Amino acid sequence: MNDIALGQYVHKNSIIHSLDPRTKFICLLILMISIFLIPSPADYNPKISFIILGGFALIILIVVILTKISPLKYLKSLMQVIFIVSFVFIVQMLSKPSDETSLLDLNIKVSIIKIIIILTVFVLFFVFRKFLHYKLILFITLLVLSTYFLTIDFGKNLFKETPILHIYKYGLYKGAFFSLRILLVIMLSTVMTLTTKPTDLTNAIEWLLHPLTFIKLNVSIFAMMISLALRFIPTLFNEANKILKSQASRGADFKEGHLKDQIFQMVALLIPMFVVSYKRAEDLADAMEARGYIPGERRTKLNILRFKFSDYLTFILCVGIITGIILLRVL
Amino acid sequence: MKIKLDNVSFSYNEEKVISNLNLEIESSSITAIIGHNGSGKSTLAKLIVGLLEPKKGTIYLDDQVLNEDSIKIFRNKMGIIFQNPDNQFVGVTVKDDIAFGLENKNIEREEMIQKIHKYLKLVGMEEYIEESPENLSGGQKQRVAIAGALSMECELLILDESTSMLDPLGTKEVGETIKKIKNEDNKTIIIITHDLEEARLADRVIVLNKGKIVKDGTPKEVFSDENILINSGLKTMDSVKIINDLKNVDYKNKKEIEAALWELTFKM
Repeated sequence: MNDIALGQYVHKNSIIHSLDPRTKFICLLILMISIFLIPSPADYNPKISFIILGGFALIILIVVILTKISPLKYLKSLMQVIFIVSFVFIVQMLSKPSDETSLLDLNIKVSIIKIIIILTVFVLFFVFRKFLHYKLILFITLLVLSTYFLTIDFGKNLFKETPILHIYKYGLYKGAFFSLRILLVIMLSTVMTLTTKPTDLTNAIEWLLHPLTFIKLNVSIFAMMISLALRFIPTLFNEANKILKSQASRGADFKEGHLKDQIFQMVALLIPMFVVSYKRAEDLADAMEARGYIPGERRTKLNILRFKFSDYLTFILCVGIITGIILLRVL
Repeated sequence: MKIKLDNVSFSYNEEKVISNLNLEIESSSITAIIGHNGSGKSTLAKLIVGLLEPKKGTIYLDDQVLNEDSIKIFRNKMGIIFQNPDNQFVGVTVKDDIAFGLENKNIEREEMIQKIHKYLKLVGMEEYIEESPENLSGGQKQRVAIAGALSMECELLILDESTSMLDPLGTKEVGETIKKIKNEDNKTIIIITHDLEEARLADRVIVLNKGKIVKDGTPKEVFSDENILINSGLKTMDSVKIINDLKNVDYKNKKEIEAALWELTFKM
C-alpha cells in the first residue's frame, strides 16, 4: 500500500519540479496522446514504430533523470501494473494478425501425468508463497516452464489431434509495443505526481476548469475537494495498514482462505475504515470552518502560478512532438 | 478576548452535555478547563468558537453576542487546536497548511510568506517548511497547527486536548510552545485537558463535571482539592498527594517542605 505514488510528492530542486503545474498537466496529456498515436507495428513499418517508441522512452528517461528522484520510486509504480502489462503482452503475442504465418508453433501434448505435475507445482507455489521472495518472477517462470513442459513428449497424449499454440512475429511485436506503451504512460503520470505538489496540481486543474465558471459551476469547491482527497490519500493508506495489522493480530487473514472467507475478512477492514474516515472528515470540516473557510468565497493564494521561459519551451517541444506524430500518421 | 457564557446549555439529541453554564474568562488570561472524558470540555470549546450553537443561553465575545452574523468577524480572531493532529492538517506541506487560514482571510501573498516564516520560527519549525505531514511527529504537527492559528493573529487560542494523542516528547514540545506564547504574546488562551500537568501552565483552573462547573480557582487551590478531582474522574498529582498526606503528620519543617513541594509541582 505504501507503493501508491499518487499524492506522494517528493521535494527536490529540479527543472521538472520548477515547471508550472499547468505546463506539466497539459504536456502530460499531449505526450500521452502522442504515445497512443504512434502507429502500431502491425499497421506500419515495425522498425519505425519501435524507433519512435524508443525515442519516447529516451525522452522519458531523460525527464526521470532530471527529476533527481530515486529510480526505485518509478520502479515501484511500474510494479503496480506489471500484471496488466504481462496480460497485454500474452494476449497480443497469441493474437493472429491477418495473413501471417506463425513464427513458432507449440504442439501442446496434454497427458494425465503432466497435468498432475503442473498442478502439484502450482499448488506448492500457492501454499508456500508466504515464504517465497520475488513471487511474480517465479510465477512467470513457472508459467513459461509449464508451457514448455506441455510441448515435450511425456506420458500418453489425451487428445487425438494435438492442439497447436501459434506465436506470430507481428504478435510478438504488438505485445512488446503495447506493453511498452502502457509502461511509458505510467512513467509519465508518475513523473507528474512525484514532481508536482497536490496543491499545485489542484491549482492547475482549477485554472484549466476555469471556463466552467461561465456555466455557474463553482470550480474552487471542486478544486478543494481534489486537494483534500490527494492530501488524505497517504493518511488513509497508513490508517488502512494499521487496521490491517491490528485485525491480523486478532486472527484475521486477508491473504489466505477461500474467496468467500477473504470477502468476509475484508469487511473487518472496510467497516473501521468507514468509521475512521467519517470521523476524520467531521474533524477536518470543523478544523476548516474554525480557520475561516467558507466554500465558494474568494480566497487569496500562496502558490501563484506563473509561466516561465522553460514552460513555453517545454510546451513548444511537446506540441512539436505531437505534430510530428500526427504528420507521420497522415503522410 | 473577553468571553462570557450566560446560562448556556447544550445537548446532543436527548443527552445534556452542558447544563446552565455561567462562566466569564478575562482577556489575556490563561485558563485551563479540566474534566474527564465526556464532561463537556470539548463541547464547550466548540460552543465558544461557534462550531456549535447553544440550545439555551447566550455567549458573549468582547461583550458582543455570538451568533450567525457576528461569527464571521470573530472567526478571524479565534484559533482552535484539536486533539488529533492529522485531522486538522489541511495543506500538503507545512507551508501550505499555515497558508490555508491566511488564504481564507484574504491576506496578500507577500504578507502571507512573512507570517509563515515568523510563526514557524516562533514554534521552532522553520526548517520543516517544505515538509509533508507524513514526515512529521505528532508534536511537530501540533506545533504547526499552533503556528497556523497564531499566524491568523488570533486573540483567543483554544487548545482542545492538544497533547492527549502525543508521546511525552510531543507533549513537552507543545508545552514549551505554549509557555513561549504565554511569555511573548498577550492572548487569551484556554487549555482544555484532563492532564493536570498541562493545566499547571494556567492562571486559573476550572473543573467541569457533567457539564457543570464544580470547582473554579487558582491551580494551587484546585490541585489541592483531592475530593473534587477524584469525584470528577481526574487523577491527582503525586506531589499534591504528598502535600495533603503531610497535613496529617506532625513534622517540624512541615511548612518549608510543603512550600518546596508546591514549588516543585509548578516547576516545568
